[in-house]
Amino acid sequence: MKLNPDGMKPIYVQIAEWLEAEILAGNIQSDEKMYSQYQLAEMFTINPATAGKGLNLLADEDILYKKRGLGMFVVSDAKERILEKRKSQVLKTMVMELVAEAERLDVSEGELLEMIKTIQKQKREESQ
Amino acid sequence: MNVIECSGLTKVYGSRKAVNDLSFTIAENKITGLIGRNGAGKTTLLKIIAGYYRKSAGKITVFSKNPFNNIQVAEKLIFVDDRMSFPPALALSEILSSAAAFYPHWNKRIADGLLNYFQLEPKEKHQYLSKGMASTFNMIIGLASRCPLTIYDEPTTGMDAAVRKDFYRALLKDYIEQPRTIILSSHLLNEIEDLLEDVLLLRGGSKELQLPIAELKHYAVGLSGREEAFAEFINDVDILHQKQMGNVKYIVVRNNFSESLQKRIGMSGVEMTPVATDDVCVYLTAGNKGGIDDVFHRSE
Repeated sequence: MKLNPDGMKPIYVQIAEWLEAEILAGNIQSDEKMYSQYQLAEMFTINPATAGKGLNLLADEDILYKKRGLGMFVVSDAKERILEKRKSQVLKTMVMELVAEAERLDVSEGELLEMIKTIQKQKREESQ
Repeated sequence: MNVIECSGLTKVYGSRKAVNDLSFTIAENKITGLIGRNGAGKTTLLKIIAGYYRKSAGKITVFSKNPFNNIQVAEKLIFVDDRMSFPPALALSEILSSAAAFYPHWNKRIADGLLNYFQLEPKEKHQYLSKGMASTFNMIIGLASRCPLTIYDEPTTGMDAAVRKDFYRALLKDYIEQPRTIILSSHLLNEIEDLLEDVLLLRGGSKELQLPIAELKHYAVGLSGREEAFAEFINDVDILHQKQMGNVKYIVVRNNFSESLQKRIGMSGVEMTPVATDDVCVYLTAGNKGGIDDVFHRSE
């Protein structure tokens, strides 16, 4: 992964999101040890304090837990927690933006729903 | 513990104050970026910290001592720039052995490894190195000396893109192995920002701001839209930069909007965009809000 320095998101948030993606992809399993802040710093050529902030963000959200002297570990229901969080936060924000843009473009509710359905249909056909 | 503490620090050249009433501290084992435009006082400040220049007024301590002409401070710090001068008769390998004798934490494995990696000929004389090669060699000394306080003043001058990348990576890996206080000055913030923990921004010899790099990312926000659309939102905010693009105006402001206000702005059709930290620094240190455009502005 490449970090995106121009985004609105600070690097530590991007690190947290990358770690979430690693958990979702199954590269790090439940109760396995998470990368240390120094490993992350090396992997991405970033300041270890920034990497530590990314880890702490996930610890605050109970996706990682600390074992004294051993580092951070993945909680057993980490995947579910991440998915739930993304649904309630990320997806919701995206839908809000979508609705606002539709209003600006004078797209009616019906039209918008129709567009979503069309795209879902296209995706289904492509994957077949 | 603070490695550097200064208050009211001032350095006068003739009638000009190169460093003006500067107060800040730098904590141990952090990497701080010193950012500022040409002539902002970066090099003067660093040379005062390194003990090369005498201050005109104010207080400064480095490792709790006055750094000027102080050998006890000098052995704990190294100042690296592209004008480091070495005796012209010495070969690179001889310069490295002298440095090894002076700096108590010298790491020979890293010095030799880097010399070899960057294909510098040990028998070469420093004065015959190209600009980029000299910068590379100076960087090797800076890394291998492992001084508790390592100061790099525009360290990548003349280095090509590949060497710059290697340098930043070497700096970070070595820092992880042996944490120490590092100050990196540069006008290219975007190149070094991932390495930094804190930023100290100078403007006209004074401190514009000092904060963790993560906060700088949120420091400002760009708004674009028709002027009347965001007029109501910007009554009491600082405008850092503005630009007219056709009927649309782009302004950069301090980001102290509440979440609810941000939502209202979003709904009003004004577009909110992030501002790169690099640009934030440029706007904060600019002489006027319109930038270069103001010079070419014709009043109709």
